[in-house]
Amino acid sequence: MEQLQYYFKISLISIKRAPLPYLLTVLILSLGLGMFFANATFYYRLNSDPLPQKSDKLFFPMMLLVPGDCDSGCEPPPVLSYSNVQKLGSSGIPTAQAAMYSSDSYVRLDSKQQPLPVRLRLTQRDFFQLFDVPVLAGSIWPDNSARYEVVIGKQLAEKLYGTADVVGKSLLVDDRHFTISAVINPWQMLPRLYDANNGSHISETEQLFMPLETAYDLNYMSATMSRTMDDTDYRQLATQGRTGALHQLQFWVQLDTPAQQKAYKDFMLQLAQSEQAAGRHPVHINNQLPALRDIVRYFGRESGDVKAYALVTLLFLVVCIFNASHLSLNRYISNQYEFSLRRALGASRWQLQQQLLVDVVVLTCVTLVFALLIGAASIQLMNYLWPFNRLFASWDLSLLSALLLLSLFCSYLVTLYPSLRASFGALNQQLKE
Amino acid sequence: MIELTGLSKIFRTELVETHALRDISIRVNEGEFVALTGPSGSGKSTLLNVLGTLENFDQGDYLLDGKSVKGLSDRELSTLRNEKIGFIFQGFNLIKDYSLFDNIELPLRYRGFKPAERKRRVEHALETVGLAARRNYHPSQLSGGQQQRVAIARAIAGSPRVLLADEPTGNLDSLMARQVMELLDQINRDGCTILMVTHDPDQARRASRQIQIIDGQLSDAVLYDPLAVA
Amino acid sequence: MSVRLMIKTMLRRKVVTALLLVQLALTLALILNSMVLAKQTHERLQEPTGLDLANTLLVQIKPTTPTLRLYPALGELLERQLGAIRQLPGVVAAAYTNQSPLLQGGNNGSLYKVGNEERNNLSTVPQYYASADIFQVLGLELKSGQLPQIPQSFDSDSSTPLVLTESVAQKIFGSDNPIGQATNQGNVAAVVSDFYGQRSADMVMYNTIRIAPLYGVDWGYSLLLRVEPQQVVSVRSQLDNLLRQVDSNIEIFHIRTLQEQHQRLYNTEYGLSVLLALLSALMLLVTMISGYSNAHFHVLKSQKEIGIKRALGANKVTILLELLAEGWLCTLLGGLLGVVAAVLLNQALALVISIPVLSGWLVVFTLLLLLLCVTLATWYPARIATRISPATATKTL
Ligand SMILES: Nc1ncnc2c1ncn2[C@@H]1O[C@H](COP(=O)(O)OP(=O)(O)O)[C@@H](O)[C@H]1O
Ligand SMILES: [Mg+2]
Repeated sequence: MEQLQYYFKISLISIKRAPLPYLLTVLILSLGLGMFFANATFYYRLNSDPLPQKSDKLFFPMMLLVPGDCDSGCEPPPVLSYSNVQKLGSSGIPTAQAAMYSSDSYVRLDSKQQPLPVRLRLTQRDFFQLFDVPVLAGSIWPDNSARYEVVIGKQLAEKLYGTADVVGKSLLVDDRHFTISAVINPWQMLPRLYDANNGSHISETEQLFMPLETAYDLNYMSATMSRTMDDTDYRQLATQGRTGALHQLQFWVQLDTPAQQKAYKDFMLQLAQSEQAAGRHPVHINNQLPALRDIVRYFGRESGDVKAYALVTLLFLVVCIFNASHLSLNRYISNQYEFSLRRALGASRWQLQQQLLVDVVVLTCVTLVFALLIGAASIQLMNYLWPFNRLFASWDLSLLSALLLLSLFCSYLVTLYPSLRASFGALNQQLKE
Repeated sequence: MIELTGLSKIFRTELVETHALRDISIRVNEGEFVALTGPSGSGKSTLLNVLGTLENFDQGDYLLDGKSVKGLSDRELSTLRNEKIGFIFQGFNLIKDYSLFDNIELPLRYRGFKPAERKRRVEHALETVGLAARRNYHPSQLSGGQQQRVAIARAIAGSPRVLLADEPTGNLDSLMARQVMELLDQINRDGCTILMVTHDPDQARRASRQIQIIDGQLSDAVLYDPLAVA
Repeated sequence: MSVRLMIKTMLRRKVVTALLLVQLALTLALILNSMVLAKQTHERLQEPTGLDLANTLLVQIKPTTPTLRLYPALGELLERQLGAIRQLPGVVAAAYTNQSPLLQGGNNGSLYKVGNEERNNLSTVPQYYASADIFQVLGLELKSGQLPQIPQSFDSDSSTPLVLTESVAQKIFGSDNPIGQATNQGNVAAVVSDFYGQRSADMVMYNTIRIAPLYGVDWGYSLLLRVEPQQVVSVRSQLDNLLRQVDSNIEIFHIRTLQEQHQRLYNTEYGLSVLLALLSALMLLVTMISGYSNAHFHVLKSQKEIGIKRALGANKVTILLELLAEGWLCTLLGGLLGVVAAVLLNQALALVISIPVLSGWLVVFTLLLLLLCVTLATWYPARIATRISPATATKTL
């Protein structure tokens, strides 16, 4: 203990002897770490798996069930029509399955209130099971049929009613009466992978859920991606929208076992073949079944800018490490004579190494503080420049400990070479120099 | 050739003033070989530095070739050193990473000679000191005596009028010292004026004149041994 | 000064020099690439849009009640809103449209000449449904044909007259006269000058316009205003209140000039450019610090050598130049490496973002910039070095 104190004292003395080089070393190292860490935060969060336990069990089936010949590429469309969902949903194989899309609505408690704009998810019963949505109170719809019942998020409930105890209460959604059948706990799926096909996976989860059939009855149009492949009027969801080639739905199935997955693929193949026989499918069969964990990459929705910046900040970090080690090398060479003297006075290499380890610890701590400050500032800047990524700016324990390890590692690197030079170099040569 | 009149030099530090040279007047003629002697700390090196324009002085005047060095700019002083004065130091002062050739060539570069001229002069100087075969060696590969000979080659390569040597044999054993002294004799015979600081009475006696400095002043007894001139 | 001797000096400090070279190379690589990117973003923002960006205002708006979203109530609302806006001093013209120009994506569809479906099928051409004043608001010039004046419903069986922008007409009909020709979307009535529609469309200048009622406002609609240049600020500040007075059952998403809208279109690129520029500046700073400390330390270590050189006749300027030249040599070597690194980085970046290839004169410019910075960084230590007395040579340090 006393020895450790002594090491700290020596460390501080040598910092005080040449404060500017030390400060510059710290500055440079923490700049590198801070900039790197800020972007790494976004990179890590944007690429994190929100459902690690089942992201390889949820799948997004797509088929070339479109009118006419496929023209270029023959890629199945990234959104499905109502009739295709019905066909794909008829297999009975998945553990759970739900079609969905999103739309905008105005919500109020009575017609005298100012309407509140709310993003809607129009979906089916299994949605909540598929994505592990935590239910606070009430019960989810018993089946997929149309009903004037909504599921509401706790925050929205509190905003509207001032309480989360709202099951059974009534609500005006676009001036139509709905009953609240369930309240869900605050829930943030980051990134919201079920919406990756249209690139909306980096926005917040919805606060209001309506049965898909009801939404079609009421002609709720998709707020993200909708494609008409024939002359269907996209405003007539209740009628033409259910039969025509109006593609706007996402469809997710849960296939727990490899056998289930195989069975589902076979089912899709058979479906394509029978549609082909009926003349409703182009010659070319192209069935796709990407898993939730690959969905962003599958749809090419990765954030190129964050990636590019990640590469560049990594380079910057490397340069900073080079630079800091360069500076600290100079610092140690200045102290080399003292090192040699200590060796001459009988300090063992191990004792000198211990001294250096203490130096590393001191450097790590100082650097970490600065790196966090710079990182936080840099995140502010990135939030300002790229507001769409704002949800992915937060730090958690694993990120912070990664930063700690990284700065320890960098500090060690920065001290390592000089320390080798200082304590393993030939003794007499140093004294001569 | 060299004319000092009432020259004084004071080192000022925060605590003390050291009168390193007091009222020194000397005249050295062309072709002389002058030995500077005196106890350690008496100001010999300082005098040599002043003569070599490495350091300035406080009072008096210094005429080199009849021209005062007072008030010359850095550039003029540098040129003067480069063209007229050759230095030989006790610690050889060769540049470690340069080969012998590069070391000797250095002042010639500053002088602006063309490469062919530089080569000729370096090779001639190397021959003079008998190290022509080792032109690509590095100083660390040579003995002390050899290093000092390289330093001499560097000093004479630019054909200076004056050679200033500060204890050139101070770091050498007697055999090597003798070699160096013979070399200096030869250079002097070729017409170069030499001023040399030495502790060795034998060496001092070889000079055409001895000047003794004690406590920054010329000693009253200016030793002169006509026998040594031979 | 001999390059050979300078390289020798650098080789003596192998590690330090290598570190410096790597740094210089990476710095050059980063600066070069961020300059190319910044240049590209700048050029994109400078590309002609065919629009008077500064003097056109955009209001994105949506009725909050279902009844107001349907005709005839919607038609009345639009009339009232446009009527009120036209009363504002400084407003030259105003129109409604289903979507504004300068969007990432939006309402669009395929377009082809009837009977020529295979050859010139454009899959993504923005479709505008707007009131007749749209041409005046956007400042579009009539190139040929006659502009439709009366809104004609798209649902009606008779086809709605179609207005094309010049480039899309050119693409589909080539040198033929497009007026009166039939497309899958209706007969062409007029051709107007190009304007920037949607970034993700086949071409940003391809657009079709119909003078028609809004087809649906579930995604809201846009009101576009052409304003006198001096009045933009004042008109803009009154719009929110005015529209809420006309009818309070609306949500106003935003009120912007088309200039801002254009800027937002390149938000991501702009953001990346800013970040890279910041990082480049930091990198340059770091390299300068490194160059400084390197030179400073070098001078400290070679005091004796500098003293010797001074004694041998080097003047102050020579010493200064020697040290600066060492920095320059280092920079040039680093620069050479840097060009290689820059090309590699450029290729790596091209995998994830769109970035143009490096140009020769930019390399030269960056190298000069780097040289300047290194010179600045080395200047002070080099000046210190010139103060080393030649007498240092005689001292045993
Ligand atoms: N740079 C200096 N600063 C202060 N005092 C000096 C300096 N150089 C030499 N001296 C002093 O000047 C005196 C003469 O020194 P020096 O000429 O080196 O003596 P010598 O060469 O005869 O041994 C000594 O007292 C020495 O301490
Ligand atoms: Mg001396």
